[in-house]
Amino acid sequence: MEMIGGDDTDTEMYGALVTAQSLRLRHLHHCRENQCTSVLVKYIQAPVHLVWSLVRRFDQPQKYKPFISRCTVNGDPEIGCLREVNVKSGLPATTSTERLEQLDDEEHILGINIIGGDHRLKNYSSILTVHPEMIDGRSGTMVMESFVVDVPQGNTKDDTCYFVESLIKCNLKSLACVSERLAAQDITNSIATFCNASNGYREKNHTETNL
Amino acid sequence: MAGICCGVVGETEPAAPVDSTSRASLRRRLDLLPSIKIVADSAVAPPLENCRKRQKRETVVLSTLPGNLDLDSNVRSENKKARSAVTNSNSVTEAESFFSDVPKIGTTSVCGRRRDMEDAVSIHPSFLQRNSENHHFYGVFDGHGCSHVAEKCRERLHDIVKKEVEVMASDEWTETMVKSFQKMDKEVSQRECNLVVNGATRSMKNSCRCELQSPQCDAVGSTAVVSVVTPEKIIVSNCGDSRAVLCRNGVAIPLSVDHKPDRPDELIRIQQAGGRVIYWDGARVLGVLAMSRAIGDNYLKPYVIPDPEVTVTDRTDEDECLILASDGLWDVVPNETACGVARMCLRGAGAGDDSDAAHNACSDAALLLTKLALARQSSDNVSVVVVDLRKRRNNQASS
Repeated sequence: MEMIGGDDTDTEMYGALVTAQSLRLRHLHHCRENQCTSVLVKYIQAPVHLVWSLVRRFDQPQKYKPFISRCTVNGDPEIGCLREVNVKSGLPATTSTERLEQLDDEEHILGINIIGGDHRLKNYSSILTVHPEMIDGRSGTMVMESFVVDVPQGNTKDDTCYFVESLIKCNLKSLACVSERLAAQDITNSIATFCNASNGYREKNHTETNL
Repeated sequence: MAGICCGVVGETEPAAPVDSTSRASLRRRLDLLPSIKIVADSAVAPPLENCRKRQKRETVVLSTLPGNLDLDSNVRSENKKARSAVTNSNSVTEAESFFSDVPKIGTTSVCGRRRDMEDAVSIHPSFLQRNSENHHFYGVFDGHGCSHVAEKCRERLHDIVKKEVEVMASDEWTETMVKSFQKMDKEVSQRECNLVVNGATRSMKNSCRCELQSPQCDAVGSTAVVSVVTPEKIIVSNCGDSRAVLCRNGVAIPLSVDHKPDRPDELIRIQQAGGRVIYWDGARVLGVLAMSRAIGDNYLKPYVIPDPEVTVTDRTDEDECLILASDGLWDVVPNETACGVARMCLRGAGAGDDSDAAHNACSDAALLLTKLALARQSSDNVSVVVVDLRKRRNNQASS
C-alpha cells in the first residue's frame, strides 16, 4: 500500500511539474526594463467549457468584466481584429482599443493587446488560459491571466503592477460569479429536464394502465 | 433680475466665456436665462468644439433663441432629469398653499459632457415633523459605474433618515445619520440578492444599463451629500466628493469635507484597512476609485466605506443660502464664487415676501451655477441645489 501511495504522489508531483512547465510557456512575456509583469490565478467552481464560453467572446467582454459598459467589433471577431471598449464612469479611462492576438479553442488560450484609448496602459499585452481542475470533488476550472505593460512616468513598477492586478482580480472574481451562476442554472435546468422526463414517463404509464 | 445676477458673473469671473460681449448684449442674452426650454429628443445637438468624446447622445437642452447659443449649446441634459428638476421646483410652489413655511429651493441636474447621466437629486420639503417643527431634506447623489445606486439613494434615503430620526433619542444627529447611510448601503447591496432570488425590482433593471446582474454588479456606487434643515439647525452628512456650502453674510462656509483618497486621515484609514492609494490620474483607492467613501462599491470594502461625516450647524440670521452640488460644479467653481453667484441671485429677488420671486431666484442661482460649470468646461454631470435660508424668524413663527 505504501509503495502504491508513494507512486501516486510521485506521479502527481511529476504531473504538477509538467503542468507548471507548460503553463509557464503559455504565459511567457518579454518584459523590458521599463515594464512590469505579473500573473494571477483564480479557481472557479464551474466546468471549463462554461468558463471558456465566456472568456472566448472577444466581442462581448462586458458579459463578465464589471468595468465595461459597451463593446463594438467591426466584422468577425477573428485574429487581428479590433474591439472598441467603453469603460464605465469612475475609472481612470473612458475608452480602450484592443486587438485580438490569439484565440485557441483547443488549448483555451486568449491573447489580447491594448493598442489605444484614453488611459495610461501603454504596450499592454495579456494572455488568459483556462484549465480543468478538480475542486471539492467536482469538475472546476483554474484561470490564469498574465500581463506585461509599460510603467508610466510618475509611477513605480510596484504601483503599476498593483493597479493592473487590482483590475484583473475584479475581472476574475466577476468571471467566477457569472460562471458559477451559469453552472448552477445548468444543474437546475438538467434537474428540471429530468423531472419533466420522469413525469412524462409516469403519465405515459398511467395512460397505459387506463387503457 | 436674472440680468443682474448674470452681470455679476460676467464681471467677477473673467475666465468664464460670458464676459467678452457688450453690456447690452450680455443683458439681452442673460434675460433669456429663465426661458430655457427643454427640446424633445429629436433635437440635433450643435457641434461642440471643445467637447471630448464623453458626450450625451440621446438628448439635448437648447435655448429657443440663437442669441443664447454660445452658452446654451453647452447645456446638454438628459431630458427626464432636467424635467424632474423643473417639476421639483414646481411641486414646491404648488405645495405652498398648504404649508406657509415651505422653503425656497432651486435645483438643476444636467448630464453635461458625460456619456451618461448618473447624478440624482432628492428634494423633500417638510419630510418630517418633530417637536412640531418642520424638517426638510435635500440630497445630491453622484453615481459611478452605473446610475442605479444614486437612483436608489434618491428613492429611499429620505425615508430611511425619517425612520431613524423618529426613533432618535435626543439630538444624536451624527449617530442617526451614520446609521441611515449604513442602512442605505445595505439596501443597495441587498438589491442584488433580491434580484437573484425573486427576479423583482424591475424598475431598477429598466432604468440602468448594467450588463451584469449581481452579485457581480458590485462595482457601482454613489456619493451622497444630504442636508436636513430644521428651524434651528443645518445637519449635513457627507460621503464622497459632493459638497455642501453655506453662504453666510457673503462668506462661503463649507459644511462638508470631500472624501478624497489622499486626504491624510483617509489615506491612513485606507492603509490601516490593508488597502493602497495609487496616483493614477489623481489619487485613487487601489488606483481605481477617486474617492475614499461612497454608498455601494462593495468590491472596494473595507477600504471604501459608506459612513458619512456629519456636521451640525446652528442657523443664524446672517445665513443666506445653502448650496449642495456634485463635483461637476465644485471641480471648476470655487466655493466663494458659487456663494457670490447664489447670493447675487437671491439679493436680486430681494428678501421680501414674494415667495415666487424667491423660488425663481433659487432656480436662477442653480441654473446659473450649472451654466457656469459647463462654460468652464466641466466634463462631468452637474447637479446643483440652492436653498434659501433667509427669513428664519418668519418661518419659525408660521410653523
